[in-house]
Amino acid sequence: MSTPNTDMKFLVVDDFSTMRRIVRGLLKEIGYNNVEEAEDGAVALNMLKNGRFDFVVSDINMPNMNGFDLLKAIKADDKLKALPVLMVTAEARKEDIVLAAQTGAAGYIVKPFTKATLEEKVLKIMQKLTATA
Amino acid sequence: MKMDELPENMTMPAASPEIFQQLGTLTRQLHDTLNMLGVLPQLKYTVEDLPDARSRLNYIAQKTEAAAEKVLNLVDTAKADQEHIASETRKLAALITADPVKAVASGAVFNFVQDVETTTHRVDGHLTDIMMAQDFHDLTGQVVAKVVKLANDLESQLVKLLVQAAPPEQAHKVEAALTQNHEELSGPVVNPEGRTDVVSNQGEVDDLLASLGF
Repeated sequence: MSTPNTDMKFLVVDDFSTMRRIVRGLLKEIGYNNVEEAEDGAVALNMLKNGRFDFVVSDINMPNMNGFDLLKAIKADDKLKALPVLMVTAEARKEDIVLAAQTGAAGYIVKPFTKATLEEKVLKIMQKLTATA
Repeated sequence: MKMDELPENMTMPAASPEIFQQLGTLTRQLHDTLNMLGVLPQLKYTVEDLPDARSRLNYIAQKTEAAAEKVLNLVDTAKADQEHIASETRKLAALITADPVKAVASGAVFNFVQDVETTTHRVDGHLTDIMMAQDFHDLTGQVVAKVVKLANDLESQLVKLLVQAAPPEQAHKVEAALTQNHEELSGPVVNPEGRTDVVSNQGEVDDLLASLGF
């Protein structure tokens, strides 16, 4: 497995603060220290439009704006559409996974997950982006 | 108008089969209604338990959140202690490499041993607290069982009410619809066994995405 680019800035979106803390902690252990948090899609979109981020890790079920709507908004925005979005969710229905992929999600992780799974997905997504750039 | 006030040229109509039929229908409806009312008191008691169920669910949310916060804080503290030991070990290794005799004579080795003992004792305490924080499983498990029982009772009462309120010829259709039209709730799938519309692990997610070309 290749080395993570520790300069990357992450945005973790989840309405459950404990989950945000867990994902943030795992990213830190992997080597990504530059992590910010948002409690729903609407807050996240505002942060993305007003800051520079390299990677989004988002839940699906959230108030105000859910993960699918956030994903659609990111992909509809010319300045944000290249941003990779990894869905991390308890939703295990195949139709949700297919919808996420069709909407433009870079990856999909079902909870509960391990640090190894998160690390593998982030690296794979970044490798794919680098290869297609 | 009373019977004895009927005009002399009028007579009482003979009791026809249709009248008996109508009386029978009315009696049947009354019987069904009374049966239905027999369900309502039980339903009332079940519905009265709903605020209790709400508070139980709030209790679960509070307990699990508190436990998660407690564990995460303890892990942060334990990791800091671990980092302290690692740092002190590196310092002592440098001292021993430079001058082993001085390292021992100066008391650096002895101080390090004492420091390790104190810190590991503290870490052990954190680990014990983390273990104890899992007690919410036992408490919330019991509460969940009660809420599930209440939900089952409520469903049972509502099904009885619906079936009894439906026309007899429609009752079986209502029962069939009840078993088919369960709306899918958001969140984790708790019973993925035997279902083809959900995945049960990350491997299946990856396979599905791969089959779609992602």
